[in-house]
Amino acid sequence: MGKATIIAAGLSAHGRSKTYKRRGLWAIKKKHGGKFPTTAKKAAVADAAASKKTPRFYPADDVAKPLAHNAVRKPTKLRSSITPGTVLILLAGRFKGKRVVFLGQLPSGLLLVTGPFKLNGVPVRRVNQAYVIATTTKVELPKLSLDKFTDSYFKAAEDKQKKKKGEEEFFKTEEAKKELSAEYIANQKEVDAALLKALSPELKGYLSTRFSLKDGDRPHLMKF
Amino acid sequence: MPQEGIFKFHQYQVVGRHLPTEQDPTPTVYRMKVWAQDAVRAKSKFWYFLRRLRRVKKANGQIIAVNEIFERKPTTVKNFGIWVRYQSRTGYHNMYKEYRDTTLNGAVDQMYSEMASRHRVRFPCIQIIKTATVPASACKRANTLQFHDSKIRFPLTHRLARPSAPEYRTLYKATRPSVAMI
Amino acid sequence: MPFKRYVEIGRVALVNFGEDYGKLVVITDVVDQNRALVDAPTETRRIMPFKRMTLTDLTVEIPRLASKKVLTAAFTSADVAGKFAASAWGKKLAARQSKANQNDFERYQAAVAKAKRNRAVRKAYNQLAKSA
Repeated sequence: MGKATIIAAGLSAHGRSKTYKRRGLWAIKKKHGGKFPTTAKKAAVADAAASKKTPRFYPADDVAKPLAHNAVRKPTKLRSSITPGTVLILLAGRFKGKRVVFLGQLPSGLLLVTGPFKLNGVPVRRVNQAYVIATTTKVELPKLSLDKFTDSYFKAAEDKQKKKKGEEEFFKTEEAKKELSAEYIANQKEVDAALLKALSPELKGYLSTRFSLKDGDRPHLMKF
Repeated sequence: MPQEGIFKFHQYQVVGRHLPTEQDPTPTVYRMKVWAQDAVRAKSKFWYFLRRLRRVKKANGQIIAVNEIFERKPTTVKNFGIWVRYQSRTGYHNMYKEYRDTTLNGAVDQMYSEMASRHRVRFPCIQIIKTATVPASACKRANTLQFHDSKIRFPLTHRLARPSAPEYRTLYKATRPSVAMI
Repeated sequence: MPFKRYVEIGRVALVNFGEDYGKLVVITDVVDQNRALVDAPTETRRIMPFKRMTLTDLTVEIPRLASKKVLTAAFTSADVAGKFAASAWGKKLAARQSKANQNDFERYQAAVAKAKRNRAVRKAYNQLAKSA
């Protein structure tokens, strides 16, 4: 392909027909049976082109454009001192001071623990590892099927409890105590039954007592 | 052995001379042992003393080497004699002092703190003339002589129980300390 | 009462302050009225102030500035560590150490044992009080 001689900006020495010959477009046409090859344009591309068209008017108000956040949430790292069967001491919430057994970590990063409920009243529940002291005591865990204890299993239970009260409901007399679903109780009983078999009488006594600091205890110097 | 580095003043050997000139292409090399907190201050101390002793100063001189000198046997106790010259509020005085220590640096540290306490003389006003390891037979001071005894024996009196670490100290004690002498 | 424990060459002392807390050292030379040169089989010989040590009843037969070999031999032949551990003082320190090293479960076991013992004592005492 020869070079087009430019006379001035935007003006070449060759005319349309000469350019057609020079570029050898006839050869391409011949190759494809007298027609230029076409590629089907994608609809999406067309849309993008359309949206790129500058609007006729600027919007009067600034439209807030949310900032791009590329942060990827890393999975929560489990403390190395916590392994399935570790006895944990809960530090916050209504079960603070209770010694519980760690069962496993959920995808949300929360720890799945159980009292067992029979011993200290702590049901199978989720706790954040920040609110927990890991002890060196380990329990030999039996084979448990923990598949049903997912994050959504607990989430559903929590949502039901947390439903906001409107004015009317607030002033209404307290409803009868909420009954736990039979499935929830059955799940708890199943885990408890399996776990209790694996616990020695001494460990049962240990788990059923609450941890507390006594006079002169220095928690930062104590070994757990 | 962490003690080698914890001294406030370290001993340096500084070597320097006058810059070579046409008249004297090989000037005399001077070597001096000085005590300073670091090598930079040791060089400064070197020029301070050299310009008082010889017609050489920093502007027309050069430093050839600076080396720190370490104790050869830091695990035996020696008697160190230190001759010092110091400036008091009234004039200059010379003094001879004796210390028992494992290192010369330790003895020099002792000397500086003793001069500061007994005579209220600080580091800049003190010049060390000479130091020596003194054999027991040549020691003069009663305070060193009393420890020259291979069968030395004395009790420790007025013992106060101390907490095992500074962070366990209490401002107020529940009981008076027992200083029972055993 | 005369003094029993003297600063002397060969005196065994217990370090009661600083990073060597709880170790046994032997005085190998006296530096001055405040400090001594101390040594131990696993330590480098160094200066230590008297304020950081407590003298024990034990001594070993060593010359002044004894070499590490001589000191280690004297230390082991006199069974310094064993004798100290067998003394009331050593036992107290060991008990304190083992109590500090208890984990949470062991603390629980100890509390249960203590409660059990106290119950038994109280029962026996009450029986005696009733019969008296």
